[in-house]
Amino acid sequence: MQTDARTWLERIRALPLEGRMRVMNVCGGHERSISQAGLRRLLPDNVELIPGPGCPVCVCPEEDVYAAIRLSLDEEVILVAFGDMLRVPVNVPKREVRSLQQARAAGGDVRPIASPAEASDIARANPDRPVVFFAAGFETTTAPVVAMLHEDPPENLFLLLSGRLTWPAVAMLLDSGAPGFQGLVCPGHVATVMGPEEWQFVSDQHHIPAAVAGFTPVSLLAALYSVLRQQLEGRAFLDNCYPELVQPGGNPRARQQLAATLDVVDANWRGIGTIPASGFGLKTEWAAHDARQHFPIAEDASRKRAGEMPAGCQCADVVLGRIYPNQCRIFGNACTPRNPIGPCMVSDEGACRIWWAAGERGEHGARVAASA
Amino acid sequence: MCLGIPMQVRSVEGFRARCEARGIERDVSLFMLPEGSVAIGDFVVVHVGYAIQTISEQESRSAWEIYDAMLAAEDALEAPPAVTAVGVGES
Repeated sequence: MQTDARTWLERIRALPLEGRMRVMNVCGGHERSISQAGLRRLLPDNVELIPGPGCPVCVCPEEDVYAAIRLSLDEEVILVAFGDMLRVPVNVPKREVRSLQQARAAGGDVRPIASPAEASDIARANPDRPVVFFAAGFETTTAPVVAMLHEDPPENLFLLLSGRLTWPAVAMLLDSGAPGFQGLVCPGHVATVMGPEEWQFVSDQHHIPAAVAGFTPVSLLAALYSVLRQQLEGRAFLDNCYPELVQPGGNPRARQQLAATLDVVDANWRGIGTIPASGFGLKTEWAAHDARQHFPIAEDASRKRAGEMPAGCQCADVVLGRIYPNQCRIFGNACTPRNPIGPCMVSDEGACRIWWAAGERGEHGARVAASA
Repeated sequence: MCLGIPMQVRSVEGFRARCEARGIERDVSLFMLPEGSVAIGDFVVVHVGYAIQTISEQESRSAWEIYDAMLAAEDALEAPPAVTAVGVGES
């Protein structure tokens, strides 16, 4: 019989841990489960769960969002994107169009989609107009985008790809020598597609305990228990606490499609900078569907704060696990889900929005509430 | 964006399936799974309209328990602002 969440919690509490143990997760879905189930409140005081780089919308390059906005204002173009991307702001003066949502209000044909197949359908239904699919996402999302390309896409469909790989961001933190965590919960659906082996380097090269987790409290607590116990025993390895879905080698068909279609390239992460071999780019064979080849997308070097997070926003520190969302100086006062300033408050996968949805208001929010 | 949702397969036609969860039906692509690996009645994890893996009914049920709570929290977020102990922070 499967061990329940209460039993996992009791086992975690019974571990004779000495000192503080900080465990990072790198998946917005994990963070949603952790926050929703209130797991942090139930853990021993010396165990911290830190949300890390788990939100592709949050790290999508500001220049790419800017390029998507400019393309959407071309009257010929239909711009489609996952709904999360529409409210992400870029760094331009307030009188200018700052998001895809504002571009739509200004007359741009911007359409939110929930699946890459919809992009293909919209292009088929509008054969006389170029359809640009602004596709941001980690491996789990990029794989379906690629699958769609392998299903005979119409000629007028172009991809503005902002795909990113998850593990290089963790590698960057570990290589920095001061990662700020002693254990890692690896993302379950990324590992479902790419295979758990991608995360082997965490334990093998850095001697950091690691475990792949699913999205239920049971799976997350099992992974946390594994990581804590590995630390206690001084024996780091990669555990798989989501064997129902995560199998050695991942999803072979998806990986084959990814490898046949995309190159792994150095890539920019918003507010963080370039991370080596952390992005996807379309191979030259797919140039006919590459928006970067078809449209004149030039970086405007004269734009102030291009590539950065919005002014005053600490999303980059949140993404890298350096601060908790409620430690950001604008969380809950200037920046809320209704009036988001940073991308972490926009996306369903953003730690700030997740913490807000779970009822966290933070010191600043509490002060605003008290003074109202 | 990396959260897959368990759904049950209602019908299959080539690489296309009609899947259902919580009374809502969606067209789902099976293009990322081995050909012929999914049958009517099976459960699959669906991410952005594509099945990324098959899953047991038991695991599907466990996952939905936490997803229901997440969706309720998201719905509350989208609801009109109400004056609560903390909600005034948004005003």
